Amino acid sequence: MATMFTPTPRVQVPSVAAKGEIFQVKALISHQMETGLRRDPKGDVIPRKIINKFACRYNDIVVFGVDLHEAMAANPYIEFYLRATESGRLEFIWEEDGGHTYALTHQLTVG
Amino acid sequence: MVEETKANTVSFTRRAVLTAAATAGAGLAGDAFISTVDASDTGDDGVAIVKQLAGRTLVESDRIHLVMPRTFPNGYTVPLSLEIDCPMTEADHVRNVRVFAPRNPLIEVVCFHFAPRRSEPRVSTRIRLAEPQYVLAVAEMNDGALLMNKTWVEAATNGCA
Repeated sequence: MATMFTPTPRVQVPSVAAKGEIFQVKALISHQMETGLRRDPKGDVIPRKIINKFACRYNDIVVFGVDLHEAMAANPYIEFYLRATESGRLEFIWEEDGGHTYALTHQLTVG
Repeated sequence: MVEETKANTVSFTRRAVLTAAATAGAGLAGDAFISTVDASDTGDDGVAIVKQLAGRTLVESDRIHLVMPRTFPNGYTVPLSLEIDCPMTEADHVRNVRVFAPRNPLIEVVCFHFAPRRSEPRVSTRIRLAEPQYVLAVAEMNDGALLMNKTWVEAATNGCA
């Protein structure tokens, strides 16, 4: 069952926002989220491999974070809301069991 | 042509998997329903476990809006929306919100962390549920208070198998 696809992160964020405006962020990563509770046809436990952390940094400050456990659905989708304070860089980081990370950055202009 | 063949193979496999899962899930859900009728009408069993985990007093609060469907056709991707009435100032903000599914094999689902003046205590995601149960959300406020709310959800298949 361990498919070999590479997790692909995606975000949907506005490029421009008014100062003080609250804007929506949609973050998704394609990922099996193997819970570690399943067994393969031979009866062996399929080892857990999930995205266990997500963080959003706004000009290097962590403004939103998530600890994910086994009960998060496969291809974890997270929709959240940030306040536009200043122009700058938004960074999205997903961390997988075993320490591998996936990241995206996005430029936001606050006018 | 090659792509089409590939797509068919994928969807067939997926369908086979889903059908098998649905069949297995129906049996489990039936059992679960019998066992929940007596105990969990109030959701108190779940509250007790979560209280232990939280280690402090939980106050049930309608400032927490936990929105999930009452029934859902599968347990693999049950939508969850959460919003907390809170100004998110330094003096009054949500530090984090934890979500629990006490009748899942592993009851912690997710924890969201917020920052005052920077993020709003409002999120949507999708979770797995094993059995019909109360899902609980516990918000830790900046003064350490724990606010809790819960909602009953019946997923038709076991999303944790």
